[in-house]
Amino acid sequence: MADVKLSVQDLRKTFHPGLFEKPIEVLKGLSFDVRRGEIFGFLGPNGAGKTTTIKAITELIFPDSGTISVCGFPQTSLEAKRRIGFMTESPYVYRHLTGREFLRFCAELLGVERSEQEDRISHILDDVGMKGSGDRKMGTYSKGMLQRVALGQALLGDPELLILDEPMSGLDPIGRRDVRDIILRQAAAGVTIFFSSHIIPDVETLCDRVAIVVDGRVRAIGTVGDLVSREADRYEVTFAGAMPEDLSTRLLAHHVGSGEAWVRVSAGDREALMGELADRGARIVSMNPVRATLEDVLMTHGEGADQ
Amino acid sequence: MRAIRAIAVNTFREAIRDRILYLFIGFAIVMVISTKLFGMLTVGDEAKIVKDIGLAAMQFFSMLIAVMMSMLLISREVDNRTVFNILSKPVRRWQFIVGNYVGLVAIVAANLLLITVVLVVMVLIYTGQFDPMLIFAAAMTMLEMLVLAAFATLFAVLTRPILGSLMTLAMFVVGHTSADLWMLTRQLPSAFTRAMITTVYYLVPNLDRFNFQTEVVHDLSIQPAAVGWAVVYAAAFVGVLLFLAALRFQTKDLK
Repeated sequence: MADVKLSVQDLRKTFHPGLFEKPIEVLKGLSFDVRRGEIFGFLGPNGAGKTTTIKAITELIFPDSGTISVCGFPQTSLEAKRRIGFMTESPYVYRHLTGREFLRFCAELLGVERSEQEDRISHILDDVGMKGSGDRKMGTYSKGMLQRVALGQALLGDPELLILDEPMSGLDPIGRRDVRDIILRQAAAGVTIFFSSHIIPDVETLCDRVAIVVDGRVRAIGTVGDLVSREADRYEVTFAGAMPEDLSTRLLAHHVGSGEAWVRVSAGDREALMGELADRGARIVSMNPVRATLEDVLMTHGEGADQ
Repeated sequence: MRAIRAIAVNTFREAIRDRILYLFIGFAIVMVISTKLFGMLTVGDEAKIVKDIGLAAMQFFSMLIAVMMSMLLISREVDNRTVFNILSKPVRRWQFIVGNYVGLVAIVAANLLLITVVLVVMVLIYTGQFDPMLIFAAAMTMLEMLVLAAFATLFAVLTRPILGSLMTLAMFVVGHTSADLWMLTRQLPSAFTRAMITTVYYLVPNLDRFNFQTEVVHDLSIQPAAVGWAVVYAAAFVGVLLFLAALRFQTKDLK
């Protein structure tokens, strides 16, 4: 257990929107562990339960059942909260405060020694690329700047576990790169990072392990390599001299253009396709193996949940 | 304590940038200054009329500020989700409630101080004498505001801002008539109705316990025991109301 920084077991949560409205079961027995020092991605479509799970971890909502422990402490304890740095999905900040004043307020809440506060805040502002803008009112900040300050307050307490809810959504490419760099720097410093996203390239680039959550349950968990290789590979074949419609092999997709045809088949059907094309005297132009992407995995699980 | 202090300071800063606060303070000061006009237009001791209307204006506008600001501040924190930044840190939910309440009380106290200074100066100009009892009356009004702000805090946690404001306003009205209700029970033949009204009497505060305006205006003697009981009464109400607010907020899902 010492190597598990965040453990979520059999988490269930149903919201009751109103007396005459149907209850909404958001979490349906969700479980996963995040190990020390890893960057853990929490991937899922909108409405899958990602933010609800994060709110349960940070005690903003109360699960109906299940257990959560942070660094070995129950999530409701102050010991757990002292170890968490949390950045919300959107930067919810006081727009009348300057970035520095906001961080000072957060430092007070975190119990950072007053003698250390100014140095620490300056260091954080520098770290998140806000050195020159810390004394401006946050009402004048761009979305990217607000996101940076929000990230700064999450880093302020030297957290052992950094929880980031959609940290890169709504950012331009430069902002995304900067946030990605900050995450990587924190990971290099030994901070365990748990972040939710529906932006697949971010997850693929950053994460050591990924949990795919759909409809309130973890559908798959592992490294990106594990998840991808676990899925059946496909092949894309381009050929001339035959029409896809005439083939009896099961095609996943096909297209005809400029004298050549393109088809996609599952790995299991590849031999059958090649045999059939040879029988028909077709000329193979190219054949490329296609590995399943994380997006494919997510789509597969998402479709499974819909049915 | 640091968390409560930080939240209180932040609440205070949030409140003093709100224009609605200055609108209320402006009205209150205009009202207090215009008591001179009422004094001139009314038959009787002008100084007493200035004090009477001035103290009533102080109470009314302090009540409005307490009710409106408490609703705005707590609901704004929750609706704007800035509360997420606070509660995801090592801060207990009751500390958030108490911190907000302390910040609100500080705002009401600052406003009351300002109106009191204006009233004291007005009376000084009128009579040529400094009346320390006006400060006593202001302190008792502050006690009343402590209770009302606690009600407003509880209602802010329980319901939406507009309904909460109306409920607190209703509490102010009922609180100033509950003593009359108590008297009414003696006239009623039905035991059930008497029991109902007696229950209401004990549930809502008797805000007239904090009202020493008549004594101050007419230079009547004030029983120290009545003041002592008013302090204990306010402390008990504030304690219970904040406890209930914290209890409700403790299990509230913040979506």
